[in-house]
Amino acid sequence: MTKILHIILREWKRILSLPAHYVVLLVIPPIIFLFFGFIYNKKFAEELPVLVWDEDQSALSTQLIRLLDATKSIQISQTAGSESEVRAAIKSGKVYGAVHFPRHLEANLKSNHAASVTVFTNAAAIVPAKLIYKDAAGVIIKGGLAVVLEKFTRQGMPEEQAMALLQPIELHTVTLYNPDYNYQQYLTPGLITVGFQMALILVGVLLINYEAKTKTWEELIQTASGSASTIIIGKTLAHLTVAWINFILIVGVIFPIFGLSKAGSIGPFFVLFTLLSVACIGIGILVSTCINDVITATDVALFYTSPAFVFSGFTFPRWAMPWYDQFYANLMPYTPFLDGFIKVYFMELPLSYAVKESGILLLFIAISLGAAILLLQRKINTTKIARA
Amino acid sequence: MKSVLTILLRESRLVSTQKALVLIFLLAPIVYAFMYGSIYAHKQEENVKIAVVDMDGSELSRMISTQLDATQIADVVTTSSLEEAAQDLYYGKVQGYLLMEKGLQQTVLSLQKTTITLVVNAGRFLPSSDLTAALSKISLTLGAGIRMKYISKQGTGSEAALAEANPLSLDYRPLFNESSSYGAFLLPGLLAIILQQTLLIGLVASMGIEREQAFTGLFQAGSNSAILTAKSSFYLLCFLIIGLFFVTINFSVLQVPMRGSGGNLFILSGIFIAALIPMGLLIGSFFKTPLMGMQVMAFTSYPFFLITGYSMPYHSLPQLVQWIAALLPTTPFLQSYQLIVQAGGSLFDTRQALLHLILLWLLYSLLFLIRLQFIRKKMIPGGTIGSD
Repeated sequence: MTKILHIILREWKRILSLPAHYVVLLVIPPIIFLFFGFIYNKKFAEELPVLVWDEDQSALSTQLIRLLDATKSIQISQTAGSESEVRAAIKSGKVYGAVHFPRHLEANLKSNHAASVTVFTNAAAIVPAKLIYKDAAGVIIKGGLAVVLEKFTRQGMPEEQAMALLQPIELHTVTLYNPDYNYQQYLTPGLITVGFQMALILVGVLLINYEAKTKTWEELIQTASGSASTIIIGKTLAHLTVAWINFILIVGVIFPIFGLSKAGSIGPFFVLFTLLSVACIGIGILVSTCINDVITATDVALFYTSPAFVFSGFTFPRWAMPWYDQFYANLMPYTPFLDGFIKVYFMELPLSYAVKESGILLLFIAISLGAAILLLQRKINTTKIARA
Repeated sequence: MKSVLTILLRESRLVSTQKALVLIFLLAPIVYAFMYGSIYAHKQEENVKIAVVDMDGSELSRMISTQLDATQIADVVTTSSLEEAAQDLYYGKVQGYLLMEKGLQQTVLSLQKTTITLVVNAGRFLPSSDLTAALSKISLTLGAGIRMKYISKQGTGSEAALAEANPLSLDYRPLFNESSSYGAFLLPGLLAIILQQTLLIGLVASMGIEREQAFTGLFQAGSNSAILTAKSSFYLLCFLIIGLFFVTINFSVLQVPMRGSGGNLFILSGIFIAALIPMGLLIGSFFKTPLMGMQVMAFTSYPFFLITGYSMPYHSLPQLVQWIAALLPTTPFLQSYQLIVQAGGSLFDTRQALLHLILLWLLYSLLFLIRLQFIRKKMIPGGTIGSD
């Protein structure tokens, strides 16, 4: 126990004195955490420039243009006189979309003829395209229904019945956990946690091999009396305390700054965060034990951690990925963490809903730390034999 | 010219003898491109699990359920109770549930308005918004069908009834990504960011090695401009080959549509890589060791990608973030790249972004030359041997 304490104290000193440790664990995290929050400080993509091509020039088209401009996503920024102008403006990136009102639109509707309004978007930029489509569709559908309502009431149908016929089956949507589709609420917590797992693994891969670079390998073995488990437990606990400092930073500073705090989720989030941290440290130590060259180990860490966010299924769901990508995603501790994090943080559910994810993280911990202890002990024994 | 050739050969020796650099410059871009690319092999999200709680058990409710299941996006899971559906949502087994209450069909038949309720988990944006869009479409189509049936019963012919029931329709034309697929939107940008990050991390690491070796050999081999020319030529050649590999192999394997001219893309990529090289060399010159450089650069991948306007429209980013983004070659590059690859534009169409890219190239080249001069003066006291 005393030896473990010595290793913890020794590791804390190393964390505070080695730039390869403190820069990654203590300097970079607050900077990138704040930056991830700041990027999405506007929270929504709004007032997207959209062009109007109005060939009808009627009261109806003018009214619809006004309604389009009043939506959250659309800002009518310019006009065009032909489809080629529309396409050129979208292509140039000056507008994200366009709405075309054809000639005789109002007249056709009044004479019981169907008409259509065309919405163009630059779908190469899918986010603005979807937002413009959603708002434009809302306005145009409502416009069409208003025409039907007018007709029904003109025919003497009671208003209540006319309204029922307009939308006989109304879809009532309850959007849970982020009803406004706020980008900051959605992406910032995920990016912060993925950034932190990267920091832990990037330093984790240096925990054993960097001892040789700093010429402290022998001293480490002596402090731990040649016990690999003492070294690994001590180092893991020291780095876990640094992880907790970052947890306090996230929950106590970053989340409140950007209005991301969810009081009820702190306890379960802390448990998952701790499990993720130990799993990342374990994987880092395992790599560090296997690969002596620190640059190659960092290469491996980079290769392993960089895709975590994309593969975890945060932005594009895992079930839509090919099986081999789903398999690879399961090799990263961030994947079960994210599944659990969504439940306990976004959905504010009790930890019992994330038992499966916690179990997988524990498995990561057991395998990585267990293998690291075995391999490190063999390495220490080899060193002893060589010395003898 | 001779010194340029000497430094060029020296650079090729440096890269080929450093295992870490070979991994970053040669292996990482190719492996990453296939790895990340394969995630979006199916391009679109499919089979999002949704629970259906059908308390009506009528023909109409079954029809809604069947129509939902028939969409590409949804995979219906029948559930017996609301409680079970809610629990499935909490455990992440489904991304939402649809509740159809008793009396649904009866209410519609008696020409009264009825409601179906969709509950979605917006903890993840894509599944929830896709499910909402699919069900909105179904409810609107069914509504139009019911109206049409009513109008037909009044003695109107079917064609006229259709026009009356749905007088104003929406013709949606998503340009440059007709299927509005997530993969087609993200893949081109992803490949560009892989090219950028592997180049930047590799350059920073290689400059770190130079600095670790106190620039011995490098400054003696030639002037500052010779160093910039030689290093730029070497990496430009290497990364143009990798870029060419992306366009020929990755684009075809991942079925990325290439609508513009290959020649234009080649020129654009050349200027982009040329701008990145002095930027990477400049950043790398500030790190004392390759390890520290790699560690810090690892954290730039996500922020660099996120601030280019790919995930959130550029103009929706905070002004300060837009200024920072304007200093990255990726920002103008991705604008031009999208225009050429996805919209089939020419270099002339994207002249503004191209000029931006060239200015960044000149800016970073100048800054790197100044930085080299500064280091040279510091390294060789009182002299500027071999400098410009």
